[in-house]
Formats: sequence, structure tokens, C-alpha cells
Amino acid sequence: MIGPLNMSQDTGLLIAIMLGFFFGLFLERGGLGNPQKLTGVFYLTDFAVPKVMFTAILVASTGLYLLSDLKLLDMGRIWIVQTFFWPQIVGGVLFGIGFVVSGYCPGTAVAGLASGQLDALVAMIGIGIGSLIFALLYPMIEGFYQSSAMGEATIQGVIGISHWVVLAALIIVAGLMFFFMERYEKKTR
Amino acid sequence: MTKNNFWSPYIAGTGLGLTLLATFYIAGWGLGASGAFSLLTSVGMNQVLPDFTRGLSYFSQYLNAASPLKNWMLFEIFGVFLGALSGALFSRNFRFRFIRGSTTGIGMRLFAAVTGGILIGFAGRLARGCTSGVALSGGAQLAMAGWIFVIAMFVGGFIAAAFLRRLWS
Repeated sequence: MIGPLNMSQDTGLLIAIMLGFFFGLFLERGGLGNPQKLTGVFYLTDFAVPKVMFTAILVASTGLYLLSDLKLLDMGRIWIVQTFFWPQIVGGVLFGIGFVVSGYCPGTAVAGLASGQLDALVAMIGIGIGSLIFALLYPMIEGFYQSSAMGEATIQGVIGISHWVVLAALIIVAGLMFFFMERYEKKTR
Repeated sequence: MTKNNFWSPYIAGTGLGLTLLATFYIAGWGLGASGAFSLLTSVGMNQVLPDFTRGLSYFSQYLNAASPLKNWMLFEIFGVFLGALSGALFSRNFRFRFIRGSTTGIGMRLFAAVTGGILIGFAGRLARGCTSGVALSGGAQLAMAGWIFVIAMFVGGFIAAAFLRRLWS
């Protein structure tokens, strides 16, 4: 069977709950429902976020491009995340500030609430208010929101090299990062 | 640091990566989170102020769907809640509590949670997704979006942490 699979809307929604279940389970078990651990990287006290995040990215990425190269997955039918350079730079910086201030991001706030944390519920209400403010201001910021569009740009596409070169470089960088994080944590513990 | 029984981050990360890979293979897109909050806000607002909400072009995109709540990401987020709840219960990590820095009062903690939440909610819309939809999913696709968002997010986070040294200590 070549992915992505075709299915009815109701089957798709059922599968969404199942995939979300594992997403939430691994987030919680990795410690990413806890705002002390989530913000630890920004204070250099706990590196759970980059360790979980970059491990997940590299596992999924290697699998994705392997399945595609083996013709088991039709990359042309995968919805690639669209790049809008400046909105994503500004959005990313604001998001990072909000991450430290609130102690959560949207998915981890859900995991935090599911662990019994009431501060996560308050952060979730804030996320809803933030979405509303965006919708209210949308007519004014639509121009910026749609600017610097790069479509389905990928690193390998922009540089013009094989995706395996990009992946190998990322694995080496992540491996070095993990090595130094472990060493630093041992020293400061 | 409080004692905890969390798994190795590399084990949890591998599980998360395989879940994301399965999502790409089955659904044809990645995992998300912030979109579900935006959708729920638009549906909630539509109950209270229907004419006003439908006049907001950004929210009307959700409300124009045949049944707005039959949304893939919303169901996925419901699953996230169930999965995290199971993980917390089975590992005895479930407790009603507020998590805050030792010098941060509960009032200050809740003010920070809602203020930071508002920033995240706004920034996630501007960037077309959050840590899940853009950083994790886009990062794994080697999309430019994912990696510029990750770098910008860490820059913003380190700047905020430098100014808020005591919030989480």
C-alpha cells in the first residue's frame, strides 16, 4: 500500500484520535507536560525539549524520505508545510517569548492539563484569546501575513542538494548537541 | 528539582517521531495543535456573537465548513488529551496542582500563563502553526518553514529567559 491512504472522513477522524493518543502519551512521558522541564532549555537547566524534539524530527524525517525513496509513499501527495519567511521569523520569536512566559506551547498545554495542571488550563484560555486577537487584527496584518511566500520550499530544494546530505548534516549536529547537553548536565548536577 | 519518573527523552522522542511518521503515511500531513484552539475559539464566539464572528474573515474560514467541529486536528487534540491523561495516570504523575517557580506566587503564575498564552495564540496564527504543526512536522519534512521557526523560537525564548530570570527558578 502506497501512502498517504484514502479513507472516509469518519475513519480519518477515528485515526486522528488514535494518532493524537500516542502524540499525547509520548509528550507526557517525555516530561513535556511539565512547564519546569519545558522552559528548562532557555535557562540551561533541563534539555528535555531539544532532546525529545530533535530526536522526533530526525526519526520522522529519516522514515519519511526512506519511504519516499523506496516508492512506498507518494511525496507529491504529502501536504508540505508552506514557508512565509518573515511572518514565520516574527511569529517564531513572539512564540518563543510566549513559551517562556506561559511555560507551555499549545500541544504541551493539553498534555499539562491532562496531568492535572490548572495553570495549563489558564494558558489554553490565553491561546484562545490570542487567536481571537489575531482574527480581529487580521484585516490590518493580512498584507504582512501573506508576504515573503516561498511555497513548499525545503532546505534541499533551496540549496540544491540531496535530502540525504541535509539529513546527515542534521544528524551530526543533533548528535554533537546531545553529547554536549549530556556532558553539561552531568557537570552541573 | 522534584523527583520524577519520566522516560528517557530519546525513547519518548523516538516514539513521537514514529507517531509523526505514521501520521504522514496515513493522513498525508503532520501533527498540529494551535489550529484546534483557533477553531474552537471561532465556534465558541459564533455561539455568542454569530453575526460579528462571521464578519471576521479569518474565523469564517472555519465556520464555512459543512460541520466545523468534524475537524481532523480537533479530534487529534482530543486524542492528545486522552494519551497524556493515560500516561499521567498509569505512571502516577497525575495531581491537581499549579506548577510555578519557587519565588513566583500563584497570582503571578496565572497572569504569566494567560499573557504568554495570548502571545502564543497570536504568534501561532501569524506563523501558520506552532511547535507541532510547523516546528515538528515542518522540521521533519525539511521544510524551510520548520527550521526558520525553530531558530526564531529559540532566539525569542533565550531573550525572554534573560529578562525573566526568576520566573521559573
